Amino acid sequence: MDKSISRRDFLRGMAGLTAATAVTAIAGVPAAFAEGEAETVERVTTELPIPEVEAPAKTEYECDVLVIGGGFAGLNAAAAAADQGQSVVMIDKGHPGYSGLSPWPSSHRWADKEMGDDYDALRKCIQHGSEYLGNMDLYEVWLEESKSTYERLKDWGILDQYETAAESGYYNQSGNPADCSGDYQGYHEKFYQHDRRTKFASVLKDKGIEYADFTMVTNVIVENNKVCGAIGFHVPSGAIITCHAKAVVMAMGGGCYKPTGFPTGGVTFDGEYIAYNLGLPIAGKEFDDFHMTLSWAPGNAFLNNNWTYLDPLWLCGGDITPETATSYATTKGKVMVLDRVTKSVTGLAVTDGTSVEDMTKQDVTRRGGSTSTNPGEVRFGKRNDTMYKGDIYGAAVGFGAHLTNGVFCGLDDLEGKTSIEGLWVSGDGMMACGPTGAAYPTGVGFTSNFVSTMGNRAGKAAAAYAASASLTPIPADRIAEETEKIEAPLHVEKGFDPNWARDQLMNIMSPYWVYIVKSEESLNAALTQVEYMRDKVIPKLQAASWHDVRLCLEMQHKILNAELSLRASLARQETRGLHYRADFPYRDDENFLCFITLTKNAEGGMDIEKVPVKDEWKGDLSEDYKSRYTYYFPKELETLGLPAEEETGGWGGKK
Amino acid sequence: MSVARFDLNKCIGCKSCVTVCPMDVFRFDENAKKSVIAYPENCQSCGQCYVNCLGRALTIVNDMYGYAQTSYRAATTVNMNRTAQAVIDRK
Repeated sequence: MDKSISRRDFLRGMAGLTAATAVTAIAGVPAAFAEGEAETVERVTTELPIPEVEAPAKTEYECDVLVIGGGFAGLNAAAAAADQGQSVVMIDKGHPGYSGLSPWPSSHRWADKEMGDDYDALRKCIQHGSEYLGNMDLYEVWLEESKSTYERLKDWGILDQYETAAESGYYNQSGNPADCSGDYQGYHEKFYQHDRRTKFASVLKDKGIEYADFTMVTNVIVENNKVCGAIGFHVPSGAIITCHAKAVVMAMGGGCYKPTGFPTGGVTFDGEYIAYNLGLPIAGKEFDDFHMTLSWAPGNAFLNNNWTYLDPLWLCGGDITPETATSYATTKGKVMVLDRVTKSVTGLAVTDGTSVEDMTKQDVTRRGGSTSTNPGEVRFGKRNDTMYKGDIYGAAVGFGAHLTNGVFCGLDDLEGKTSIEGLWVSGDGMMACGPTGAAYPTGVGFTSNFVSTMGNRAGKAAAAYAASASLTPIPADRIAEETEKIEAPLHVEKGFDPNWARDQLMNIMSPYWVYIVKSEESLNAALTQVEYMRDKVIPKLQAASWHDVRLCLEMQHKILNAELSLRASLARQETRGLHYRADFPYRDDENFLCFITLTKNAEGGMDIEKVPVKDEWKGDLSEDYKSRYTYYFPKELETLGLPAEEETGGWGGKK
Repeated sequence: MSVARFDLNKCIGCKSCVTVCPMDVFRFDENAKKSVIAYPENCQSCGQCYVNCLGRALTIVNDMYGYAQTSYRAATTVNMNRTAQAVIDRK
């Protein structure tokens, strides 16, 4: 049993719990029990047998624009396409609003000229913070459109502001600053009408958009370089689902191998796998996620994230000024990028699990809130009270840095258009080379707005294309072929459990010397193992249910992702942002102001290419190193022969 | 860390858990009008089901996080379900 939980239960005065039917180690203690109410009827904790599920009434769709994925990007794409008068179908692996990463943003950032935002300062900040790999053209798009995105989401009710948990009295009821538990369910029920996740399906219904939920798309069908639609299966029943479409927007998210604190488990690189196998170039794979989790409860996404889940989306922005443009980026780099490396190298101090952070005591800009005093300013930033403080990285191993990895659509693309006629990509993990470049942290709060902005653009573009395009139905032989592939794991008589395979991959990819502090040796060692799994284990993954089929297919996608990440990491022989190479511990502007793309070649191998970024994104190359880069990785300055800096602390403050 | 049954008597058959789960953990028994925690080994402990459970029939327990890394495991998920049930029964 987790020590901290029992300690916290003790703090909450849980005497009543032992008097009732003893259930120890409950993280979210039901209110009735916390109050020590007597239970008279014995509880039933056994489950009924797993029932068979009937196929959905409709399994074949036809439309102008198919949107795959029901997160922020997919919702905005579907809405935009429907607003253009096109017929739209959405397919979601879960239920819109609750699937993938869309239930989990905590902040929403936009640029607001009326509130006095200085756009030159914002440009300078992102360029510095992205370490000169940020797509500045897409940043211009965001500067121009982010406020209208905010207004659109606000109209939909997704940004409803209501009493925060801390203000409501449902939070930290004991008054002890180390007690972050409270009445989760009570708070949620009180403000249920504002729950943003319920709004996703409402928007779809209002706009007459049909959706197929709990359906995993396994392939997008392309004939003669023109898209025809997509095929997948309804996971609970195994029914094959087809959708013939003139245009397709893939908004299928990123992924992770196994969530250990950041609840990204629903996304598993499904879109990346499909796109790669369609021959599209994939980029950004060497830049990894930076999210933290609790070292004393690393698998506990509930404790890590649930108050944030229940709070209103915190509105952010207005926190960057001409004076702070560089220092803002530097601070974010130090606390969220550098800290990740130094903590890995030095290891951690013993923790008793009581470390909490009080956001109300933080400086407003530390909370992502605005410094503007203009009337009407609503960007107040994070406003929760105490919360458990994550102290280790690797909350979602395999997850890429936000907005950096996915399909590379070319340096001039502003809408996610691919080289396949009628096919767009959109959103986090799907469209590569966003404005945040090599290091996301400067953009904190940026994702939910940026992907909504890009979803809107992709949806409009796909609708405009579909308006004059013809429908090429998916050929029957392709449906038969895909059906066979989907069902294959059910026919494996002797093989391996996909959950076991997932854990093996996790073991290979999660050590810090593979994920955070990389070197040629460690990357090659991991790659050898991943290739072994790819060739020997993946073909023998075995399913005993449709649930298992989903897991088997997801493992195929995860293994490809691991290979892409390792090969991209090997190719980038330098250090930049969320990619640290212990054997090349410095930024190398001469050779690596580029994207690294990986493309499937005719022989089935991976072609790796360097695509230099535009000159105007590179910043002032005549600037000296210590002005261009303002925080430094272990061994960086020493290797370059530059004077050393005093060691600076990370998220947890100066060490 | 995973979802567990607090009390099946309290399940009112609203299907919220089935709707909100991104990990395909739940099924619904249409005859009994009760949800079924079918695949708890794939729970990511995000707690969406727990906070959305109108009958308050679910809970989140700590017993299940950090699965043993065995050299191999049987192909079906049945054994894991049995293990999970044993953990809950032990209480």
